Amino acid sequence: MKKYKTHVRAANMLLEALGELKQEKLQKIKQKLEDFSCKCSDVPKYSRKYNMAISRCWHKAAEKIRSRMSRDLNDFSHQLEQFKNSIDTDQMKLPKLGDVVAELVQIEDELGEIKFDFKARTISIITETIALEGITFGSFEIRLYLYEIKKLTFQSPYKIVALDPNPAGSNCDVTHPHVSDENLCEGDGFIPIRKAIQQGRLSDFFTIIVQILQTYNPDSPYVSLSDWEGTSCYDCGYTVSGDDCYYCEECERDYCSSCSTYCQICDTTVCLGCSYECPSCNKPVCEHCADVCTECNEQLCKDCLNDEGLCNNCQEQRKEQEDEELKEEPTTAAETKPEIQSDSVGQTRISA
Amino acid sequence: MRIMYINNSGGGFADYMNIEEDTSIAKLFKQKMPHEEAANYLIRVNRQPVPQDYILKENDRVTITPTKIDGA
Repeated sequence: MKKYKTHVRAANMLLEALGELKQEKLQKIKQKLEDFSCKCSDVPKYSRKYNMAISRCWHKAAEKIRSRMSRDLNDFSHQLEQFKNSIDTDQMKLPKLGDVVAELVQIEDELGEIKFDFKARTISIITETIALEGITFGSFEIRLYLYEIKKLTFQSPYKIVALDPNPAGSNCDVTHPHVSDENLCEGDGFIPIRKAIQQGRLSDFFTIIVQILQTYNPDSPYVSLSDWEGTSCYDCGYTVSGDDCYYCEECERDYCSSCSTYCQICDTTVCLGCSYECPSCNKPVCEHCADVCTECNEQLCKDCLNDEGLCNNCQEQRKEQEDEELKEEPTTAAETKPEIQSDSVGQTRISA
Repeated sequence: MRIMYINNSGGGFADYMNIEEDTSIAKLFKQKMPHEEAANYLIRVNRQPVPQDYILKENDRVTITPTKIDGA
């Protein structure tokens, strides 16, 4: 028995945790019982009101109470059924200490070394290297947090920690097709896992999880195996392989071919968000190859601005203006010039 | 004869049940999971693997766990 001293200690901790879970479940039933009792207390109220209405011949009031009772009885029967279900299904029998120790010994026999952390109140095992369809995900630590068992109804009391992670290219939190952020998406294992924990069958609990990790369900992975090595487009989320992935040099993120383009002046790869379509020539350009017209302030590609920074429209307008000014020059000169006369103009030659 | 039967697939059944005398583990598996292949399950009696002709005894603890369980 000395050999199993740590096992006995861990088994006692598990029993304590299961005791807390049982207490939680009993508390929940207590709450439901109170709600149910409250609902039942409505019946005498209805009875009193109904009797009064009948005795005073308030037929309209009596009908109103009757329809309200009918509606409430529908709710009542539903609540009664739910209450009975929860009382029947939430029965929990704590396992014996010897059985829990036997579970721990079985884990060691079948799944390898078991790790107890009495301070952190955890029991863990480490799986062999998991590989699915040629992709290796390394080994995982399945860590059961005993103090979380009491919340079993609402959340999983364990984590799946990747020890040599090979995360999906598109999401570094996904370390296995069915593990994200150290949480296992249990699928078909959901109920058996909970029942195994609740009944103290830790060997079954760890075995079920190992079997889930060794199985690939192509219908609902976080990231499918075919997309494992790929990169997720920052814009649309579509996963693309390395060759089809484009890196935007402006925002420094990866994009798919549909969400990226290249600057048609300097050939830089940019995403659609960082590119700018010149309204004049419709060419996509990067922000370095776009500028504003010094006259109208419209943003255009550098190809559509002249050396003075003018767009075509402004250049034309300026040309027209200059032409008009040239045309107007002779007439206006005649009107204005007399004021500044050159020497001899308008003077009469007088002989000496 | 009463045995403890734990099925870690589906609803995770785990309770005592009565079986006929001289029932082998293979026969029990066939009765309980008629459409399944035994090769796809880890079958343990009293926490140990047993041959398929093992005859179940009173209070034996039978555990059946699928080798493949679909996550989601």
